[in-house]
Amino acid sequence: MSFLKVALSNLRRNPVRSLLTGLSLAVSAATLSVVLSLDQGYSSAVTDDLVNNTGVHLYITKEGCPIEAASVIAQGGLSPLYVEEDIVTRIQGMPELDAVMPFKLFAVTTDDGSRTDIFMGVTEAVRSIKPDWRFAAGGWFTSDDSVILGAEMARIEYLAVGDRMYSEHFDREFVVSGLLERNYSQDDGTFFLPLHTAQAMVGREGKLSAVAIKLNDISNMDYIQTRLRAMMPPDYFIIGSKELSDGILEFFGATRAIMFVMVAVAFVISVFGIINTMLMAVLERRREIAYLKCVGAGKYDLIRLISLETAAIAVMGSTFGAAVGMLLSPLSGNLLRKFLVAYVPSGAIARPDMGIALTAFALCTFIGVACSLYPAFRAAKIVPMEVLRNE
Amino acid sequence: MNNGSVIELENVSKDYRRGSETVHALRDVSLAVTPGEYVAVVGHSGSGKTTLMNIMGCLDRPSRGRVILDGQEVHEKTEAGLTRLRRSAIGFVFQQFFLIPTLSVLENVSLPSLFVGKPSNGRAGELLEMVGLGNRLHHLPNQLSGGEMQRVAIARSLINAPPILLADEPTGNLDSRNADMIMKIFEQLNQEGVTVVVVTHNQDIVKRCRRKVHIEDGRIET
Ligand SMILES: Nc1ncnc2c1ncn2[C@@H]1O[C@H](COP(=O)(O)OP(=O)(O)OP(=O)(O)O)[C@@H](O)[C@H]1O
Ligand SMILES: [Mg+2]
Repeated sequence: MSFLKVALSNLRRNPVRSLLTGLSLAVSAATLSVVLSLDQGYSSAVTDDLVNNTGVHLYITKEGCPIEAASVIAQGGLSPLYVEEDIVTRIQGMPELDAVMPFKLFAVTTDDGSRTDIFMGVTEAVRSIKPDWRFAAGGWFTSDDSVILGAEMARIEYLAVGDRMYSEHFDREFVVSGLLERNYSQDDGTFFLPLHTAQAMVGREGKLSAVAIKLNDISNMDYIQTRLRAMMPPDYFIIGSKELSDGILEFFGATRAIMFVMVAVAFVISVFGIINTMLMAVLERRREIAYLKCVGAGKYDLIRLISLETAAIAVMGSTFGAAVGMLLSPLSGNLLRKFLVAYVPSGAIARPDMGIALTAFALCTFIGVACSLYPAFRAAKIVPMEVLRNE
Repeated sequence: MNNGSVIELENVSKDYRRGSETVHALRDVSLAVTPGEYVAVVGHSGSGKTTLMNIMGCLDRPSRGRVILDGQEVHEKTEAGLTRLRRSAIGFVFQQFFLIPTLSVLENVSLPSLFVGKPSNGRAGELLEMVGLGNRLHHLPNQLSGGEMQRVAIARSLINAPPILLADEPTGNLDSRNADMIMKIFEQLNQEGVTVVVVTHNQDIVKRCRRKVHIEDGRIET
């Protein structure tokens, strides 16, 4: 005989009601863990893409919204803004710069919208700027019509070195000169072309999307940034990769707010659900509780009993919800990928982990138990006399 | 006043407000119950029997007068103090049984021992043996007859070994055979030294009690 045993047995009085109460809390726990996974996942994915996995420290772009620039640089599309190619020669010789990579980036979507191909015109500087840009087969461009395929594109297109690849959109044939190793970034899904070929394909000879710069020593980043700015025309923009990802994450803020509002709504619903259920559970057995008081149950005995009862529901609901949340997170990550208006990173968007599961579990259990306090005090206030009330 | 009393009421009155009128449920009642007594409280419906039981059992406080239970002044006690006094001094048996439907017979009986902090299944088993239900320990209340449920309730009221047993119409819901069985248990307990006060309409029971307290319109008739 123990308080826990009595509390657990009370849940069996109305198993369906206990189950539903537990489930409402489970929904909250699941929503919370999904949202936390997405929130944490998205920012790590963006940071990985733009800061950790590229060797790029600075970008030179045309002045404009940095988010737009970020989108264009990382996601493809043809920005109306461009950088003149001749600025590359101005900065090429600077000893503080380890590598300078001019590039032209654009995306082509098929007429039916089912597929978007990303093309990137690059120079050989790409090999020094991206440390994990390595050939799995073949090698560098051999002619203006050469193409290098990211690992995923090679797999989808089923192409090997030396094969011909025809682009309907440009009515042009390319020859595969190399295939890249998979590096789990945007590179996997990109067609790399010689810079001048890429520029010509979109009629932007001499123009660049941006220039990516790798520094010898990151510690003088601020100084270099200022110096480069002085060397550039006033409408050019020197942006750090960290600022870029921060900018994108700021843009993600609205989506984030909506997600947390969803969590809040789920919580409000389950809070009212639990209070209501437990209050009913208390009120419908007032006389029984009154009897317990007759036989010596004190105020705190009853509070303990009702709280334990709720805690049992809360622990079960939260555990189940957190587990379901962990399982659903990857799915919701893929779903979010489809609806993201801003930058879509290449890595997993949802990154569930044990810390998130525990947070969701702990918070939901705590809220569940907190919700029992009002019903528990109501139970404690029942007077033993009520046992004799005639109904 | 008899100083050897377990229950002592001195000029106790109890008024209830019902809207604008006041109901005088008890009027200036004085009563002393000595240890080991077996008292039947009788009277018409509405005469104040339950009110008297409530006050003797510290479930309610009198409007006026003194109550001394097991040597302790009731009116000086806080709610928590009354709770402690009740659980050590009094066993309650009511017309309804108030068994917890999801706990076994044995668990129901040991339940009040949880609140004194020493849960005891052993004593619960013995008490159930005593009321003749030694073979039903693990049944649920809804698997028992009314008479059996009342015997479980009696066993439960005794778990903390109270010196006083208060029963308000304990046989009200039972047929005569079961009522007889319950009364036999009360008599046995009384022989073992428990003070028993029982409210009843049942004349057979009244005849078997050594002392009768007759209440009429909130007053004790002599
Ligand atoms: N909580 C209350 N509020 C108002 N009046 C009450 C309350 N409890 C009892 N009374 C009134 O006090 C009087 C005595 O009631 P009590 O319950 O003590 O009678 P009783 O002798 O036990 O009756 P019965 O045999 O029907 O159980 C009755 O007139 C009753 O209506
Ligand atoms: Mg009565």
